[in-house]
Amino acid sequence: MRHLVPEFEKLKERYPAGFEASLVLPCLRRIQEDRGFVAEEDIVGLVDYLGVPRIQVEEVLSYYTMLRRKPIGRFHLQACRNIACSMRGAEGVVGYLRKRLGIGPGETTPDGRFTLSVVECLGSCGTAPVVMVNEAYHEDMSLEKLDRLVDELAAAGEGK
Amino acid sequence: MPRLTIDGREIEAPAGQTVMDAARAAGIFIPYFCWHPQLSVPGNCRICVVGVEDKGGEWIDIACNMPVSEGMVVHTNSEGVRQRRKDTLQFITLNHPVDCGICDKAGECTLQDYHYEYNGERSLSRDAKNHETKHHALSPRIVLDNERCIQCTRCVRFTREVSKSNGLGMQNRADHSLVRAVEDGSFANDPYSDNVIDLCPVGALLSPSFLHKARVWYLKPTASVCPGCARGCTVNLWHRRPEWRLRAPDMRAQNESIDRVTPLENPAVNGPWICNKGRDLAKLLGRARAEGAMLKGRAAELQGAIAMARSLIAAARKPVALVSSWGSNEELAAFRAAFGERLDARVKADHAPEPGEVVEDAILIRADKNPNTAGAKAIFGDAPPDIPKDADLVLVWGEGLDFNRIPAGAKIVYLNAWLQPENGHADVFIPISIQTERSGHYTNFAGVTSAFAKCFPKPAQAADAETLFASLALAPGGGP
Amino acid sequence: MPGRQLIMNFEVTPTSHTLEAYRARGGYATLEKALTTMQPVDITKEVTASGLLGHGGAAFPVGRKWAVMKPGSDETHYLCANADEGEPGTFKDRWILENAPHLLVESMLIASYALGVRNAFVYIRGEFDLPYRRIQGAIDEAYAAGLLGAKLHGTPFELDIVVYRGAGSYVCGEASGLITSIEGRKPYPRNRPPRLTVRGLYQKPTVINNVESLANITGIVRMGAEEFRKVGTAKSPGTQLISISGHIAKPGVYEVEYGYPWARFLDEDCGGMLHGAKMKCIVPGGISTKVLTRAEIEPLMLSHESVNPAGSGLGSGGMIVIAEGTCMVRLLQVLLRFYHHESCGQCTPCREGMGWMHRIIDRIVAGQGVPEDIDRLYAISEANDGTTICGMGDAAGYATVGILNKFRDEFEYFIANKRSKCDGRLECLA
Repeated sequence: MRHLVPEFEKLKERYPAGFEASLVLPCLRRIQEDRGFVAEEDIVGLVDYLGVPRIQVEEVLSYYTMLRRKPIGRFHLQACRNIACSMRGAEGVVGYLRKRLGIGPGETTPDGRFTLSVVECLGSCGTAPVVMVNEAYHEDMSLEKLDRLVDELAAAGEGK
Repeated sequence: MPRLTIDGREIEAPAGQTVMDAARAAGIFIPYFCWHPQLSVPGNCRICVVGVEDKGGEWIDIACNMPVSEGMVVHTNSEGVRQRRKDTLQFITLNHPVDCGICDKAGECTLQDYHYEYNGERSLSRDAKNHETKHHALSPRIVLDNERCIQCTRCVRFTREVSKSNGLGMQNRADHSLVRAVEDGSFANDPYSDNVIDLCPVGALLSPSFLHKARVWYLKPTASVCPGCARGCTVNLWHRRPEWRLRAPDMRAQNESIDRVTPLENPAVNGPWICNKGRDLAKLLGRARAEGAMLKGRAAELQGAIAMARSLIAAARKPVALVSSWGSNEELAAFRAAFGERLDARVKADHAPEPGEVVEDAILIRADKNPNTAGAKAIFGDAPPDIPKDADLVLVWGEGLDFNRIPAGAKIVYLNAWLQPENGHADVFIPISIQTERSGHYTNFAGVTSAFAKCFPKPAQAADAETLFASLALAPGGGP
Repeated sequence: MPGRQLIMNFEVTPTSHTLEAYRARGGYATLEKALTTMQPVDITKEVTASGLLGHGGAAFPVGRKWAVMKPGSDETHYLCANADEGEPGTFKDRWILENAPHLLVESMLIASYALGVRNAFVYIRGEFDLPYRRIQGAIDEAYAAGLLGAKLHGTPFELDIVVYRGAGSYVCGEASGLITSIEGRKPYPRNRPPRLTVRGLYQKPTVINNVESLANITGIVRMGAEEFRKVGTAKSPGTQLISISGHIAKPGVYEVEYGYPWARFLDEDCGGMLHGAKMKCIVPGGISTKVLTRAEIEPLMLSHESVNPAGSGLGSGGMIVIAEGTCMVRLLQVLLRFYHHESCGQCTPCREGMGWMHRIIDRIVAGQGVPEDIDRLYAISEANDGTTICGMGDAAGYATVGILNKFRDEFEYFIANKRSKCDGRLECLA
């Protein structure tokens, strides 16, 4: 986390003095982007850097669904299962991913390549069903497209 | 000031005040869980709803966050309000185990009271309750039953706003939110942590030292003053009611011990809080007691010891006294009345900060670990507790004196309640009563005097200091 | 095209979101006009006169919210664009962020000038990636071009816009939850009073407007309130972005002029039903608005004054079309699972009520329902109506009651027969 402090310093300038706590969420997001998750040492470092109570950081980490304190697979597949996606086949998408990856929601493949999650509305209802892979939306997913996507990801994963 | 009507009573309330505060000031009760006079207003429990007349109808909102306004007509018990309260209690008991039969809070539980008063119906749910952690240790001093927790966040806000340890938080969301201690364990260092046990309106936060020890209706509170420091917080000492005395082999331990200590609200001294040291008075006051009077370490009859002390004092040319800062104002006055200026009396500190103890803070805790230093100094002055080299008799009242400081050859008369090695080194040792065995007053560092009442009878072998001084001051042979 | 267009009035190309393209469309000219020829109070007057209604869901008049602010005072004021678009079925702010980010930036500049704001925020939901990059890119471009920052157009006016990214929470779309989130805490909504325009972000007066509401400001100031009011209806001036999804042939975002016939919009503009199915009902404006049947919407226009009397609302413009054959029991299960998942857990009725309703509907779907479950769902909805800190408890209740009122028979059938009257399907088969 320490190496990100120069970035955080720039962010800090844009918030009123005395409200450094506003940086908790942006910093946690940045740390997670950097490490893949938020580690204990990041929490300690951030608490020290921002001067906010540690409990506040713990609460924020526990509340927001996108923040995590444990590493996950290289590709995080998040399938939306809210109303519009369900009406356009999300249940089939989740069922397919379960079978193809051999894992349930919240689990990671043993090779550490894929993590599967089911999530609520991603704001992609017009192009449902949607599957998020890491940051990117993959919309209008059919099972064929899904098959190809997983193939591509698996191939990309081979390289490492 | 706006004038408003609550339940048909016209009242006046300062602008900006809430309906909750205005109603309380007028003696009208509105139920609450999350609201607390000393904490911020989260408005999360929703039990304090009241109805406000509006265009022939009524709008319902929470009283704790509703500012008073001119001409408003408030009902605390309309049909709409009653229904809302019932709804809220259904929600609150939805995942609450209702295990009053084995809950320490039963008998003083806000939820129990409100359920009887405002709901009284079985749960309308036919689904299994959420199961959460039971007996989760928030710290070595506090266990949490998450199933009983109604998430009012009083405890969390206390650590944020009063003790400022930020030791507790609310993790997760929805109906799987959990009160949790901060992971670095620092909540264990919050010297005020146990206040959250009293703050908890239900039986979610409990003290392991009181857990399953007694049903509260068998206990009675006696008003007292914490002797732990010069703040002199007023407390309630809870002990077995005399009419519910247990017959048991260890009767004295069962019936004459302090089962728990809670704050006795006192705006002039401690507000509604006390520190954890006060919670542990049972330990401080439950130490081993001196068994009986002694003459140079040999057991003696109390009356014989008193006579011996009296003659030693009468014979002394330069007697010095170190008086106890744990003595009550009454005892201190009796000492002065008995001895006048005949003894060179100085006030001594019976207790100094223990290793690891919080010495002083900006909340309640004072560095002087004695309850009545101010009361004693008001009578005996501010002279340091030095012992002149030429003293030929030293009367020591109370513990905490290093006997090596007493000049060799000086006679020692020692009055102490506790079983301590020094007792045997005195020429005369006389055991005396402790705070819980007598009534009296202490004056705290700020000059506020608080009363403590007797809880238990004193042991037969112990003398009562207040009356003892008069007999010690008599001339040998009985005359003045 | 469903009427005149005020926002989606340009062709979307791979570069149409850039500053260059926006300027070519006349972008940032209105800002110059506002800064150099108008007083802040004139702008608020125009906005009030325009009758612009908020597009976040509640249709609260934007001018009335603005009028509370005191731009002349020394006190710091804040403006937040609410881009935490999370109401299921709604994805129209995403369109603006992705395709017209400079329209939002210009509008926020004008709004900030009107409101005496020096620091503005765009609170964008955490999952949005491209929309984030587009709005952040637009802000960067604007800074580089001297359109953001200090001494704009030679005036003392200055503005900084910070894009604040959420991290996955529906409640952040509620204005006070949004603020609490920016302050770095769990996004617990706050009790009113005080209103946020009195004490909002960092305890200062704050205006929070939906992205689409703000995006209209530039147009209103450019054309004037009078011209703006010529679009739409008297009571619903202007247009609304409708994001339509579900069992419809051409889902997507449409800009609809208020007053446009609803049925025509569905049948012509949106290409009718998916696979030529029959329509069972429609969620008009985000799942928290009550469903309407095809017969009910037949005579309605897309305007607040037409839809509200039918017992529902246009809300956030998130329309979800539901075909005949869709199981309403399972549909409600999806909704209640969502509300349960997103309840912040702060206040009692929502925290406990959402979980309770979710358990009941799960049990019904599992074939373990009992007849009294339906009444219980009604009662829990009722007990959440107006009793919670924010509107989420109410919203879940509206959604539930809306479906139960119209499709009670499906619930009774499911409970009695332990199976769906409609094969348990949510999809619309070809």
